[in-house]
Amino acid sequence: MVEVLDAKGLMCPMPIVQLAKKMKAMKVGDELDLISDDVGSKADVPAWCERTGNQLVETKEANGVFTYRIKKLK
Amino acid sequence: MADTKRVVMVVSEGTFDKGMMAMIIANTAASMGMDVHIFFTFFGLNLLKKGAKPKLPGMFRLFTGMFTKRMAKGGIADFPEQLSMALDLGVNLYACSTTMSLLSIEQGDMIDGVKVLGAAGFLNVAADADMQYFIG
Repeated sequence: MVEVLDAKGLMCPMPIVQLAKKMKAMKVGDELDLISDDVGSKADVPAWCERTGNQLVETKEANGVFTYRIKKLK
Repeated sequence: MADTKRVVMVVSEGTFDKGMMAMIIANTAASMGMDVHIFFTFFGLNLLKKGAKPKLPGMFRLFTGMFTKRMAKGGIADFPEQLSMALDLGVNLYACSTTMSLLSIEQGDMIDGVKVLGAAGFLNVAADADMQYFIG
C-alpha cells in the first residue's frame, strides 16, 4: 500500500523529521509518497534514504512541488 | 545502510540562534538514525534551564519573536518544543558540571532528562564521534 505525507509549506528540516516519524510506523515493503515544496528536500530526501537504508523509488517535480516515492526496506 | 554515525556537539552560547541551530541539526541527525550527543557549557547551559526562552544576541533580540513566528509558519517548533522533541528522539543532553557550579545551576533547575558530565566524561563520548560541531 502507498501512504501519503503532505509536507507542503514545511521548512527544512521538518519534512525529514516527519518522514522519519511516519516511516517508523510503517511496515517493511510499504511505500510512501512524500510531498514537499522545500527546495532543500531535493538533496535531503535522497540523503535520508541513503543514510537510513530505505529506497527512493521515484522523484517527480511539478511547479516547484516535489513528490518522492519511498519504499521502506528496514 | 552505513554504520550508525555518532554526532557530538558542544554548545557554549545560550542565544536563540545557537540553541535552534544545535537542536535542528540534532533532531535531523536523530531522524536519520544517528547517535547524537550535545554538551552544554558556559552560557550554553542556560538553554537547559526549565522554562528557558532564549533570545537572539544584542540588538537582534528584538526580532526573536518575528523569527519564532516565521519558523512556526514553516512547521519548525519553538525552542522548548525542540528540546522535548530531542529527548523523545533519544538525543543525549549533557550539562557541564563546572558550569553548573559557576552559574549556580542545580540539576533540579534544568529540564528532566539532562545528564551531568565532567570534561573527561564528555571526551570519552566525543572520542568515538564521527562528526563534531562546536556551536559558540
